[in-house]
Amino acid sequence: MEDAFPVGAACRIDARTPWRQVAEIPVGFDPEGIAVDVARRRAFVACSRSDFVSVVDLESHEVIAEITTGAEPIDVGLDEQTGRVFSADAHSDQVTIIDAATLEVETAIPVGGYPSGLTHVPESRRLYVGNSLGSTMSVIDLDSLETLATVDAEPGAGAIGVDPTRNLAVCVNFVAASANLFDTNTFEAVGRLELGIGTCAIGVVPERGEAFIVNSIAGTVSRIDLDAQKVVEEIRTGQAPVGLTVAPAHDRIYVTNRGAGSVTVIGVADGAEWTRIPVGYGPGGVTVDPYDGSILVANAGSQTVSIVEDLLAGRPPVPVVEEPSPWIGKRLPNFSLEDYRTGERRTNADFAEKKYILNFFASW
Amino acid sequence: MLVDIWEGTAPRPEVERFCEMWGIKGPILLDPDLALAGELGVRGVPTNVVVDADGTVREFGAARLDELERAIESL
Repeated sequence: MEDAFPVGAACRIDARTPWRQVAEIPVGFDPEGIAVDVARRRAFVACSRSDFVSVVDLESHEVIAEITTGAEPIDVGLDEQTGRVFSADAHSDQVTIIDAATLEVETAIPVGGYPSGLTHVPESRRLYVGNSLGSTMSVIDLDSLETLATVDAEPGAGAIGVDPTRNLAVCVNFVAASANLFDTNTFEAVGRLELGIGTCAIGVVPERGEAFIVNSIAGTVSRIDLDAQKVVEEIRTGQAPVGLTVAPAHDRIYVTNRGAGSVTVIGVADGAEWTRIPVGYGPGGVTVDPYDGSILVANAGSQTVSIVEDLLAGRPPVPVVEEPSPWIGKRLPNFSLEDYRTGERRTNADFAEKKYILNFFASW
Repeated sequence: MLVDIWEGTAPRPEVERFCEMWGIKGPILLDPDLALAGELGVRGVPTNVVVDADGTVREFGAARLDELERAIESL
């Protein structure tokens, strides 16, 4: 007897696609950080290889401006109260300040070496900047633009999470595989966490006293108990996770999988992977548009911004199962590629009867 | 073997900087037009494609070290 509902590809896709692709918008080279101007319905995208910030109209889905910044803008934030956009310009060791209304550059503030992470905390009127080569964290007053403090962190300082209810800032160090905890009133160090190699994004859920930190090499997200200052859970993601944001309802987090071209949705309470949403290639920066809850993702590989909607009301009954590549078990297609070192063409024939690994990479 | 993709700008200076920074001395192929990456459906980096002595793809993805080691051991 045949099944009433045959398990065909279409059935599987229907059960596993609780999302909607809204748009994929071309921007500059190597887009990384992304921030939303809710009032003006715009997104600001730090395009690090283009040395500008792309401004995307979220109604027409078109780029309406490209604002030249310092070299290698890699992260971006927006302060609604002052109408300012901030870009962390990694190769210029500065933060550029842009007027969100006129889209003109207002000024720039020097920070530490290679600023790569930027966190905007409107409640306390502060901007936190992680300086990777300087191994420091800069704290800037959002209104006066004065640098209030520059505190020692560790190599690869970048992403910073802030819990305003605990007066706690957590600076994640990509190279040192650690995080430093600071008191946001005194700027004194109050703790340190040992983490996996390649820690590169953080989100905080203050009402649970928890932070979630991405470990890109291990392919996990660490759940941190901020009061105990320890890792309490490791949650598996897709391939090479790099970006993370907490959904406005604080019931889930979104993690970009740079190695898989997808966004993993993880339940905050259950620590389970709810689904994976396909986006562009090599995704990194991710944020949520508070206007409609859609997810905005900067895709460094495809040089685009994806806008997708997460349609899940809660944890789905179907677990996430990654489809294996259809190439597994098949012969590698013929190729002829230039050898960077010799300039010669290399083909399959050069590797006949040899076992080998092709590691696709990008220098960003 | 490394295969460079998605640089956006000219790949050679970027690859040179990358090799200097990480001390990479092994062979590197350039696939700026995604001739191979596109055919294989590569969606992200890193993506490891493990090929056996018959030229057959045995693993695809394997960004984590334990996944890659398992794939190599199974060859």
